[in-house]
Amino acid sequence: MYEAVHAYPDGEATVARHAATAARRGYDGIVVRTRDALDPAVGGEESAATGGDGSTAAARDESPVRDPAALSEEYGIDVVDAVEIDADDPTSASGAVGNYRSDRSVVCVIGGDDALNRFAVEQARVDVLVRPMASGGDFNHVLAKAARDNGVRVEFDFGPALRATGGKRVRALADLRKLREIVAHYDAPYVVSANARSHLELRAPRELVAAGEAIGFDAEAVREGLRAWGDLVERNRERRSEGFIEPGVRRGRYEEDG
Amino acid sequence: MKHLPKHLRPRWRYLAVGIESWADAEVGRRAFQRALWYSAGNLLGDAGSADADLTLLSFAHADGTGEAVVRVRHGHVDDARAAVACVSEVDGEPVGIRVRGISGTVRACEERYMGRATASSTQRDVAFEGAERPGFARGDACDLRVESARVGATTFDTE
Repeated sequence: MYEAVHAYPDGEATVARHAATAARRGYDGIVVRTRDALDPAVGGEESAATGGDGSTAAARDESPVRDPAALSEEYGIDVVDAVEIDADDPTSASGAVGNYRSDRSVVCVIGGDDALNRFAVEQARVDVLVRPMASGGDFNHVLAKAARDNGVRVEFDFGPALRATGGKRVRALADLRKLREIVAHYDAPYVVSANARSHLELRAPRELVAAGEAIGFDAEAVREGLRAWGDLVERNRERRSEGFIEPGVRRGRYEEDG
Repeated sequence: MKHLPKHLRPRWRYLAVGIESWADAEVGRRAFQRALWYSAGNLLGDAGSADADLTLLSFAHADGTGEAVVRVRHGHVDDARAAVACVSEVDGEPVGIRVRGISGTVRACEERYMGRATASSTQRDVAFEGAERPGFARGDACDLRVESARVGATTFDTE
């Protein structure tokens, strides 16, 4: 299971601290949403090998604390370079998606605005629409169908459920329920995350499952949402590997007895 | 009062809870108990909170790490786990929290999950992003102050 975190300078813990904590909590990997926290993994085979030798960092004269492969090796947990695109309108978001698609393993778009939500689910280049219901955003059947058809995952943000209180939390839970019902009905792909901004906000998978059950989620659905990050990373790494031409077509050797 | 016959006594489970906070934060026993009950009350409602119980039996916290034994009514462990996961602050101090394990007796709980030796914390200046920052180092973890914000780092970051 994977978790997606905000790391320093966006959050209050460095990637290394997140990785160390997540490894203790029983995660297989972390997806670092903060663009400035990590250098992009070098595309292809190298990024797929989690136990890289760190020479990629040395070669580019970068410090190992920003190198996903070196961090993976140090903490025995997969560290994935991702980016969250925070744009004001679909036009600038579209430009940013084009810029980051080629050098980041996971591309997320921050929703929370009707136009941006619509943009994100209609772009197959976008991997995840994160926080679609935050700050007044809304979700409906049209978006759910588009997300399903384009393979864009919709994020269930457990952050407010775990950390907010009072009316804010009530509204967040109501939004989660609405989103859950729409997503489940149209069978749209989804991910689950606690949106941790520091190592203290990370929760173990079992805790997230228990909290999810308490607020009405199915336990298996929460686990599936945590695993979905890992599936996404695996798919994207394969797509960025050198042998990849298109889904189902790879460049490589002939099979011996084909 | 005379104690209950055995078949009427409530059956308990004991949660071993690990607590983590910033190294310079104080987390008290009473404040933690209050946070637990508030969290349960808010998440599960008064009825669910009463069912789960969530009484703190033992508590220790120093230098940014701590542990506690929480009593939970048998059959409400999942609710209790959810309530524990929703404790995000104690007295305004953010805390990281996890359930280490569950036992049927306090003694088993303590023997199996508690009293793990943690490295003691030392206060020193560490190099982080090209500048010396005041910080607390504890084992691999290192809590720093960068300007007015707190940053969690590790020795991997500061070497």
